[in-house]
Amino acid sequence: MRRLLEFLVTKRHWFLFILLEVVCLVLIYQNSAYQRTVLISTTNVVTGNIASLVGNVSGYFNMRAINRELAEKNGELEMRLLQLQNEIRQLQAREVPFDGYADSARVFPYKFIMAQVKNNSVTQLSNYITINKGKKDGITPQMGVVSESGLVGVVSLVGDHFSVVLPVLNPKFRQSCKVLGRNYAGSLAWDGRNARYAQLMELPRHVEFQKGDTVVTSGYSAIFPAGIKVGTVSDYRREHDDNFYTLEIELSTNFQALDYVRVLMNEEQAEQWKLEKEALKNDK
Amino acid sequence: MINDFVRNLIYFILFVSIQVLFLNHIHFLRMATPFLYVYFFLKLPYGMSRSQMLFLSFITGLAIDAFTNTPGMHAAACTLAGFVREPLIRFLIGKDMPEGLYPSFRTFGYGSFFRYTFLIVAIHHLILFGIESLSLFDPLSLALRILGSMAVTILLVFAAEAFNLESQRSGEKQ
Repeated sequence: MRRLLEFLVTKRHWFLFILLEVVCLVLIYQNSAYQRTVLISTTNVVTGNIASLVGNVSGYFNMRAINRELAEKNGELEMRLLQLQNEIRQLQAREVPFDGYADSARVFPYKFIMAQVKNNSVTQLSNYITINKGKKDGITPQMGVVSESGLVGVVSLVGDHFSVVLPVLNPKFRQSCKVLGRNYAGSLAWDGRNARYAQLMELPRHVEFQKGDTVVTSGYSAIFPAGIKVGTVSDYRREHDDNFYTLEIELSTNFQALDYVRVLMNEEQAEQWKLEKEALKNDK
Repeated sequence: MINDFVRNLIYFILFVSIQVLFLNHIHFLRMATPFLYVYFFLKLPYGMSRSQMLFLSFITGLAIDAFTNTPGMHAAACTLAGFVREPLIRFLIGKDMPEGLYPSFRTFGYGSFFRYTFLIVAIHHLILFGIESLSLFDPLSLALRILGSMAVTILLVFAAEAFNLESQRSGEKQ
């Protein structure tokens, strides 16, 4: 017994080593893309503020106010545009067979909050963006994030004053997108190589498109409305099974120079998810 | 002892801030990111208790993780590097090292210090990038990223070492 105890005491660093490595592995595996530990991340007030030092230095010193104003204005206009497009679609849908079923008084469910990028990476494999708005500003996980030029990502973790965004440039990111004007959706993902390009996969082969065509969000999720610009087609190839195309998309958002972004709030998101979940449950 | 503690604290704050404020934003040719913060535990005094060494390296990794939103990745790599550090020094230099010595060019000699740095950095980077590639495996770019990052990290460690007045002085004292 005494021998055993002595052995354990002399080898205690081995146990400590194993314990610490297990703690690390638990940390690595416990958090899925959307639920991560708030403590060890930039949503924490201390780390968030220190990390935002860099963001503060790299922002434009004099132009900040002007820049912000413009970005906000632009955001409002873009929202208005999406809203109008949506109305047109509703009107068109109403015109034809099911006259009168669509609710004309229905408002466009998306609103937005401006936020500034405080910490950003583009060339790691798993990139994350930290923005300076959090729970106190009404942000919740799974909200869409866009910039003036296009899609940015999805809010994955929310602290009191900061949130972490899972951008397109992260292998965990998936978004249903389509070529503008064609109604077949593929899945947008990033292969980890180049921060300027992402891939649109599983696009059916009969979809017609050319290089240079615009790619937009499909609106099949409750996170982004349809029609947000993602990028342009720069190349394409057939997948192994020959029935699908994989498109190389040149992203319209320049992730290296992100400053102000807009967080989209969908008032009907919860309702849609609840409904979808119920449908899934009924299916079983 | 107190001196050691203050010195380690200064090293910790200095190199962790350099890492999170500047180096994390560098991606040379979209491949290589220097992880200079390993310099902190490279320079911890020899002969520290191994549990203490493990804790320090674990906490260093965790601090970096907090800023890169990668809980556990850096911590896992650092813990392993911290664990093998002492046997590695003994293997490279032999057993006749006085305790409390800071590893440096002077105390180790250029060749041994290079081998020491190289091996620790290699272990750290292999684990770090290995864990990272669990979410997306791409062997060629993985190898390039590891080699590129190792090269810039080692370069920066040597630059830091060359300009580190403390290491030159303590070398004479020993």
